[in-house]
Amino acid sequence: MIPATLLTNALLVGAVLFCLGLVGILTRRNLIVMFLSAELMLQGVSVTLVAWSRYHGDWGGQVLVVFVLTVAACEAAVALVFVLQAFARTGRLDASAWQALREENLPRVIDHGLPADDRVVPTWPHLSPAGVLPEGDDSRSLERDHV
Amino acid sequence: MDPVAATTLPIPGLLLAGSVAALAASLWLLLPKTSDTANSRRLGLFLGAVGLVGFAATGRSLGCVGEDAVFLTVAGIAVISGLATIVTRSPVYSAIWFAMALAGVSGVLLVLGAQFLGVATIVVYAGAILVMFLFVLMLAQPSGMAPYDRVSNEPMLAAAAGAVLLGLLTLSIGRLSAAEPPSCCRMPSRAQAMAAAAGPTAGTASEDDGSATLIAPVTAGVESVDADEVAHLGAELFGRHLFAVEVAGVLLLVALVGSIAVVSRGEATETDHRRESR
Repeated sequence: MIPATLLTNALLVGAVLFCLGLVGILTRRNLIVMFLSAELMLQGVSVTLVAWSRYHGDWGGQVLVVFVLTVAACEAAVALVFVLQAFARTGRLDASAWQALREENLPRVIDHGLPADDRVVPTWPHLSPAGVLPEGDDSRSLERDHV
Repeated sequence: MDPVAATTLPIPGLLLAGSVAALAASLWLLLPKTSDTANSRRLGLFLGAVGLVGFAATGRSLGCVGEDAVFLTVAGIAVISGLATIVTRSPVYSAIWFAMALAGVSGVLLVLGAQFLGVATIVVYAGAILVMFLFVLMLAQPSGMAPYDRVSNEPMLAAAAGAVLLGLLTLSIGRLSAAEPPSCCRMPSRAQAMAAAAGPTAGTASEDDGSATLIAPVTAGVESVDADEVAHLGAELFGRHLFAVEVAGVLLLVALVGSIAVVSRGEATETDHRRESR
């Protein structure tokens, strides 16, 4: 049992986390960051459920959070596999790389003035080669023909 | 009753509107855009700090604890790390900020008295799910920072929508705390009801080899930290919700098999050709 003031505090924290996750999933274009935002929304819901559960002295909310954890694990496993497959096809983690799947009446997203990639090329120390490079085909590094 | 106090809103509307607007502006400034400068980021950080402090003041004026320094600290960690998760450019840093947010959320759950879930959040989320995210990032990250990490879809509209939703949620939470009677009046009646419900169960416990005491409802009026919290949660989970636990286990198995089936669809091997030609 928790006092009503603590309940209100926890509900506010849950609301803030949920809204942050919502903004993240609406704006970001990286598939993995979108996924993290969805998990942030789940965290907000979990805090809310636990707060109500403790306030009423009822275990249903906490049991529900246990199942939220389970479903989040399953969802992460399946969705990350799809993200990997999408990356293997397009070479990008960009959600807009799949805009060919959009509705017919929606306009195409065109990026204007994308910032240039101004990353600093690191200078690695020169090491004398040791041993022989193994034979291998780099193009097949993402595919496996058996488990 | 004092008429002035009766007509006073439970929430200072101006403070709430100002802090939510400051949060929205800070989100819009901090989200990745093409026109980012160091100054706009600094302004965004400042506005975010102002908005968070204003929001905390709003929550405090709801009659909330606010003096509970531990709760304030862990909630601040959770919210600030959540903000950093969605505005950081690099997805790896984003995942690490999310781990910090998980630590904060786990602290909030511990303060609320849900010990098992607080620990499970760290173990399952930060220990397993987040490491899986990092694995996928390492497997799928193109070299350097990708251009699509530096732009966002409609940052202004999304920040405004999030701020409006947050304001509405806070208003309804404030109305809720105004409508609910104070906890000191409310708890004893519920405690009596629960004690009455627990009475017969406790009476039959001696014949039932003590197993009924495990699933007896929590006696109300106990202090915030329940010593047998994990035992009670386990009894509830494997007593009332046993079927759901089994279904969740099947769900985990199906997800495992499904993900392996999707990821291992490679080229056809010689065995496959032989099998097809036969």
